[in-house]
Order: sequence, then C-alpha cells, then structure tokens
Amino acid sequence: MFRFNPNRKAVEKGFLFTIGLLTVVAVLPLFYILYTVTLKGLPVILKRGTIFFTGTFSEGGIGPAIAGTFLLTFLSSLIGVPLALMVGMYSYENPRSVLGRWTKALLEIMMEFPTILVGIFVMAVLVIPMGTYSAMAGAFALVIILLPYVAVYTHEAMRGIPFTYKEAGYALGLTRIKVLFRILAPMAKRGVLTGVLIGIAKAAGETAPLLFTAGGLYESYPTSITKPVGTIPLLIYQLIQSPSPQDHATAWGASLVLMVIFIAVFIPLRMSLKEVKL
Amino acid sequence: MEVMRKLDVFDIVSFPVILVIFLLFAGMLFVFFKNALPALEHFGIDLYIKNIWQAASVPQKEVYGIAAALWGSFYTSLIAILISLPISAAFSVFIVDYAPRGLKNTLAILSDVMAGLPTIIYGIWGAFILVPFLRHWVMEPLYRYFSFIPFIHYPPVGGYSYFSAGVLLAIMITPFVSAIIREAYQMIPFTYREAAYAVGATKFEATRILLGYIKPAMVSGIILGFGRAVGETIAVSLVIGNTFNLTYKLFAPGYTISSLIANQFGNAFLYTYMTSTLFAAGLALFAIGLTVNIIGIHMLRRWEKNVQV
Repeated sequence: MFRFNPNRKAVEKGFLFTIGLLTVVAVLPLFYILYTVTLKGLPVILKRGTIFFTGTFSEGGIGPAIAGTFLLTFLSSLIGVPLALMVGMYSYENPRSVLGRWTKALLEIMMEFPTILVGIFVMAVLVIPMGTYSAMAGAFALVIILLPYVAVYTHEAMRGIPFTYKEAGYALGLTRIKVLFRILAPMAKRGVLTGVLIGIAKAAGETAPLLFTAGGLYESYPTSITKPVGTIPLLIYQLIQSPSPQDHATAWGASLVLMVIFIAVFIPLRMSLKEVKL
Repeated sequence: MEVMRKLDVFDIVSFPVILVIFLLFAGMLFVFFKNALPALEHFGIDLYIKNIWQAASVPQKEVYGIAAALWGSFYTSLIAILISLPISAAFSVFIVDYAPRGLKNTLAILSDVMAGLPTIIYGIWGAFILVPFLRHWVMEPLYRYFSFIPFIHYPPVGGYSYFSAGVLLAIMITPFVSAIIREAYQMIPFTYREAAYAVGATKFEATRILLGYIKPAMVSGIILGFGRAVGETIAVSLVIGNTFNLTYKLFAPGYTISSLIANQFGNAFLYTYMTSTLFAAGLALFAIGLTVNIIGIHMLRRWEKNVQV
C-alpha cells in the first residue's frame, strides 16, 4: 500500500502543519463572528442605553422583540416539554416494538428537518384559517422544533439509568407509571433538563419557522396570543433587508443581545456535560 | 417472544401523544401535497425542470419553473460539503490525536457553540462581513487573473453568489460534520492505532489508515451535512443574491429552494399559482430532506452497531 518514500519526514511535517492550520480555520469564524457582533453591536447598545432593551422600535429599542422571544419560548415549552417527555419515555419504554422504534426514528428525522417547512405548514393550518399571524401560530411552530430535542434527550437520559433500579421499583410492587415518574424521572432529571434547555435555546434562536407564522410586532408589547408577535431573530432578519443604516445598527445591537443570551445559557450547560447533540 | 400485557395508565396517557406526533408528520406531508397539487396539475413536470418565473395578475399568464432553485440548493450544499469535509476531518483528527487535554475540551466546546449559534447571527455576519470580505479578497483577484477558467468566469459584482452561500454554509455545517467524524474517530479501538504505529507508520500514514476505517461514518457525515445545508434558510437567503440563475458559475447570484420560499411566500398570495408553486417547492425539499436524512441516519447507526462488538 505504501511505497518507500524518501520524503516521509517532510510529508509528516506538512501533514501536522495542515492539520493544525485547518483546525484554526474551523474555529476562526466563531471568533470573527464574536468579534464583529460585539464591535458593531456594543456601541449601539451603549449609545441608546436602557431604551434599547425597553423601548419600542420607533424609540430605538427592541423591547417588544425581547418580550416576544420570551413569550414564544415560554408558550412553546409549556406545550412542547410535557409532550416531549411523554414521547421520550414512550420510546424508552418500548425500544423493541415497531411503534417505539419508529418513534425514535421520527424524532431523529424531525431534528434534521428543514425548519422553513415547519413554518409554511403552520401557516397553512393555523394562520390562513385564523386570517392573521399570531403568537399562537409561532409557538406551535416552535413546539415542532423543540419537541424532538427534549424527547431524544429524555430517552437517552433514561436509558443511562441502570436496569436494577427499574427492577427494584417493580419488586416493591409499584405500578409502571410510579416507577417511571417517581424513580426513573428524578434520576434522569439532569439529562432531561439539559434537553429542555437545548430545545429552548434552539427555539429561541430560530427565524425560519416564524417568518410566516409570528408576523412581527415591534411598536408595542404583545398583549394577546391571537395577535402577531415579534422576536429578536425575526426582527434582525427584517432589519438586514432594510436599506437604512439606522436599521442595520439596531440589527447589530439585537444580534449582540441574542448572542449574549445564547452564550449565557449554552456555555454553562455545555461545561457541565461531556457532549451534546445539536 | 413478547408477552401480551394489560394496558396500564402509562399506555393510555402516552399512546395518544405518540399518535399526535405521527399524525402531525403525516399531516405535514398531506398539507404540502394538497397545496402543491394545483401547481403540479397546471404546470406538470415543467415546474421542476424549467427555469422560469413569470408572475402575472392574470392566471393564464403565470408560468413558474423552479429548476434554478433546485439546482441552487444542490450546488451550494455541494460547495459547502467540499469545503467542509477536509476541515472537519482535520479538526476531528487534531482534537482526538494531537490536542493537549485542556485544549481538547475547549475546542469541542467552541465547536458546539458554533453548531448551536442562532442562524440569524451567521446571516447578519455573512451578509455584512463575509460577502464583502470574499468579494474583495477571493472573488475579485480570482476573476482578474483566472477568468479563463469556466467556473470563475462571472464578474463578482455584488458578491452575493453561490460561492458566498457555499462558504457560509461550509462554516455552519463544519461543527456538525466534525462532531460526527470525531465521535467515530474516537470509537476506533486503540489496538488499531497501536498496530499502525507498530509497523512503523508515520502519523500521516497512521491517520490515513484510521480515516479509512471510519469511511462509512464519514460518508454519513457528508450526507447529514448535506441535509443540513439543503434545509438552511435564513443565512443563505441573505447571501445568495436571490436571482433565478441556472448556472454553474460560482460567482453568479442564485436561489435555493428554502431561500425562494422565504423570499417569495410573503407576497405569493397576490397570485393564483404562486403559493401552490412554493408548496410544490417545499414538497421537493421535504422529499430531499427526508431521503437524505433517513439514509444518513441509517448508515451511521449501522456503522455504530458494527463497531460496538
């Protein structure tokens, strides 16, 4: 397979150099992004002060978008997390049945599914019948986004618990639901919580599923779940396409806010774990 | 053999939930199909194989063909994978074999941060920083000196192009692809490494052998990475230039299916067939996404099963 090559030492050096170089190339964009977003976003936030976080769009702030992001994330986890827990537990409980395996496969496919399709699906089933964009539709789209993450993490966390605990539970004469919720679920708490946080982080940063569902609301705070609502990513997307430099400045400031929220949630989470699935 | 048992509370509670999830997925397929039908009936196969976009207030004059967007999705994802694969492989090898313990963990964390970073942040950075950078440092010099090469023969006017989209996608999928390759590379039994070095292989030769061993995992990494790139919407729609342009020329602006939907759906309701056409485009994306991901996930699982003896 390998012929004798008098340049083996040189090839070796070149190889190690290339590996090192490509590693730098792989992570360099992250630093470039962190640097640019801070450089462009920070002056905007400093100049506008607290107005940036609380004010409406015409006052130079992104308050409604921040509120909308929290509202949608809250609503979608309120609906999505309990459903996902059930789904995760079901696929854990039925690893060999056809339906159980299909469930697991479906979850993995949903994790990789193009998110824009979720957006136009929800538009077709909720927005068009209701005749308006709404927080409800946005939250529904985000439920579909976060559900597979929470479910897969729940499944993995419960699978990591030694089988003897389950046996012990049954030996005490507990019912299956008691074993699942009173013994296994508390033990898998950490893994489940991780899944919930990752699902929420994903949902909070999504733009595509909200494009045609949430609508956007930046001049006043959201008041009703049947009315349109704005979020930070959606606002940034709309502002980038505007020609005005003032709007671009707001977009950079909003990007910094979004990035800081993401990193504040993600880094501590990731530090406490060996690996994550994204 | 599984013994039949009585249904308990858990079954009764969880079964409807599972049913809802499956119905949701089937419902999605149904909704896309139903809404795509008018355009499919009206334009036939031309919808997918012709490159034309003629919106008109009179339905008879409307003609749509999304070939350019289909091509764009494929082309940008291909560029992304070609750039990303060597970087991901090198990155994985470095983390597993050469990085000191502390750096190893830091690099893995950085990679995960990149994988999870909201795509809109890649979008704003791509549109305002990466595109001008690429235009000035890569596209213009290449065009000036190498424009006799067919792929490069297109003046990079705005910089928004297949190439820019491919590069941005490459940056976005690299952490994802490298996570798959890294996991596989770590799973190689230690004896294989020992064996390679014992016969006197250099690090380069040993790595070549070991990467050959995880080839199936690398292929599934490529497939799943391709799936991610095809589905990516927001960042791509901000850098690709959004023009119907069926060409292999790298520096030409183009469209992808997802950016076409993101861009045109908002005003599609003004026309008779446009919404339906976009649903048909979505249906194609649905089919591509489903096929690619099923194949990728299946290959990965089969490989993992083979390794865990």
